[in-house]
Amino acid sequence: MTLPVGLRRWETLLLAMLAVIACLNAADSPFYLGVGNIVNLFQLEIEKIIVALIMTLIIINGEIDLSVASIMGLASCVAAYLFHVGWPMPLALLAALASGALAGAFNGFWVAYVGLPSLAVTLAGLIGYRGIARILVEDRAYGGFPDWFNALGQQPLIGPLTLSIVIFVVMFAAMAVILHGSALGRLVYVMGNNLAAARYSGVRVKRVKLLLFVASGTISALAGLLYAARLGSVRGDMAMGFELDIITIVLLGGVSIFGGSGNLVGVGLSILVILNLRNGMGLADITGNTQTSVIGALLILSVLAPNVAQMLHTKWKGRET
Amino acid sequence: MRKTLLMTAAAVMFGMLAPHGARAQTIIEPGKPVDMVLLPKFLGIAVFDQAHKGAEEAAKELKNQGKLEYLGPTPENSVAGQIEIVTNATTQGVGAIMMSNNSGDQIEPAAKAAHAKGIKVVTWDSPIPSGQGEDVFVAQVDFTETGKVMADMALSIMGPSGGTFAVLSASPDASNQNAWIAAMQTALKEPKYAKLKLAGIVYGNDQSEASYNQALALVDKYKDLKLIMAPTTVGIVAAAKAMQDEKLCDKIKVSGLGLPSEMLSYTKNGCAPEFALWSFVDLGYLSYYTAYGLATGAIKAEAGQSFKAGRMGDYTITKDPTRKEGLRILMGPFSKYDSSNVEAAAK
Repeated sequence: MTLPVGLRRWETLLLAMLAVIACLNAADSPFYLGVGNIVNLFQLEIEKIIVALIMTLIIINGEIDLSVASIMGLASCVAAYLFHVGWPMPLALLAALASGALAGAFNGFWVAYVGLPSLAVTLAGLIGYRGIARILVEDRAYGGFPDWFNALGQQPLIGPLTLSIVIFVVMFAAMAVILHGSALGRLVYVMGNNLAAARYSGVRVKRVKLLLFVASGTISALAGLLYAARLGSVRGDMAMGFELDIITIVLLGGVSIFGGSGNLVGVGLSILVILNLRNGMGLADITGNTQTSVIGALLILSVLAPNVAQMLHTKWKGRET
Repeated sequence: MRKTLLMTAAAVMFGMLAPHGARAQTIIEPGKPVDMVLLPKFLGIAVFDQAHKGAEEAAKELKNQGKLEYLGPTPENSVAGQIEIVTNATTQGVGAIMMSNNSGDQIEPAAKAAHAKGIKVVTWDSPIPSGQGEDVFVAQVDFTETGKVMADMALSIMGPSGGTFAVLSASPDASNQNAWIAAMQTALKEPKYAKLKLAGIVYGNDQSEASYNQALALVDKYKDLKLIMAPTTVGIVAAAKAMQDEKLCDKIKVSGLGLPSEMLSYTKNGCAPEFALWSFVDLGYLSYYTAYGLATGAIKAEAGQSFKAGRMGDYTITKDPTRKEGLRILMGPFSKYDSSNVEAAAK
């Protein structure tokens, strides 16, 4: 509990936002608090919020991974392609996960060992991995997966919870332990704050960065496969554009785009705020561009607000001294 | 005849149905409250707004006190958005969802979940390819005929000497466009089209800018291109504008499926001398009658059921010959437009 006061205030703000949204939703729609709806609320965006967890670590580390959605697409297309050329589904899934890890390693190599900016490297990945995905499936839609695979994405596993939701909860706990309770987590922050200092104090910065990108690629691949199971079929544009939603969730959670600060509590709250807002608007029959603009406006406000506040604060302080 | 009518009316009153196989004409009883959702591929497309107009007209005629919500995703988010809207409508327990599917088979799990909850799922404009999770598809025109109409327009524009043409379609997984293109390719095998050469198919995803760029890319790729055939109202306008902007209309013509009001100037200036379409107002109207009839139990989603759809007259549910599984109501017919009639239709 050594969080700076400013951050704590940010989470309080998110919590207040969440409470307001939840109250409005409950008042507006009798269906909002139903178990089925709560499950759907997570299920409709579950792949994005799984990837948002590892994205949190990447951004705190001072990097960015723009290729996550393309890796989601790549993995689902690899699995679909291999299955359709006759591989057994479990093998195809393993190969798809491996393709994600490989893509992540490729990103990580250029960033960590060659020193290229992750913005450029993963932008190339965003285009390149999507290209490979599209070459694999061309303009077709691949379906007809085994029933057990579709069931994994669509049927409840424990109580009303689906496999994806269980994975999200477990992964949230694991990431929280890693980031806030382990030596590795401390390194992630230290490197994000001051990479040069970390390097000079003997931290194996290259290894940590490579590890983060491999994890990001693998988790994105997993999310892509969960998405494929939920939809029951795969095409080349799977998950296209998801990276922006994912990064947005992380930033709304109070993670600094410059690295070094932020935490998973904020990101968890940010996930709940966005999901509940979307769901409430959906139940109130607000869709399309209206929905997009409301969420956009909220984000602009929430990303600008702390920066403006800090600017004013610094100015004020400067005047006093 | 009178006896049959009486019996049908009695059956409807008790919420029952005419015996299976009986071709009794069902009169759909107005005045029952049913909440319905009209879901286009995405918002902001003129033809979908027209379908909405038709559905509103039918809702008024049927005196439905329930809501008619016109909900759609944004173009960038079409697949996830359609799934989200179908899922939320299922949570709300609406009576019927009328959908122009843009998600291929990816909508299937969400549609099945709606269906399992007793919600009637009627597709219009574009069906669920597998037919799963769908009660019936209201088809605008026969897909085979669409192929022939496009082949005929290509022949009429390029003339007996023929030449190279290309297709600018919507998204790669739009099942209606894909079926029409396939039907056109079949039609092209006939000897009279022997000199028409289909060079390639590109996709503009029903977004104006992407379609515009794809049209220009076709010009660069095929030096002897004489015609761009766009079986989408977005693509055909974008292609016509691209040819007009680049002053290529003398060399390369545009045709396909277009909305008269959007195509007027391009037909007048010769960029798009001929195109075709059906009425989207009627499509929305007929879809509404079908969905309302199914949701109130007046008709069942079974081959052989027939009913009267207000001003449009009698329709019968049949097996869909264009898909392995699924039922269909065929609306038809086509209207062809050229400089002689486009002005009147654009009003």
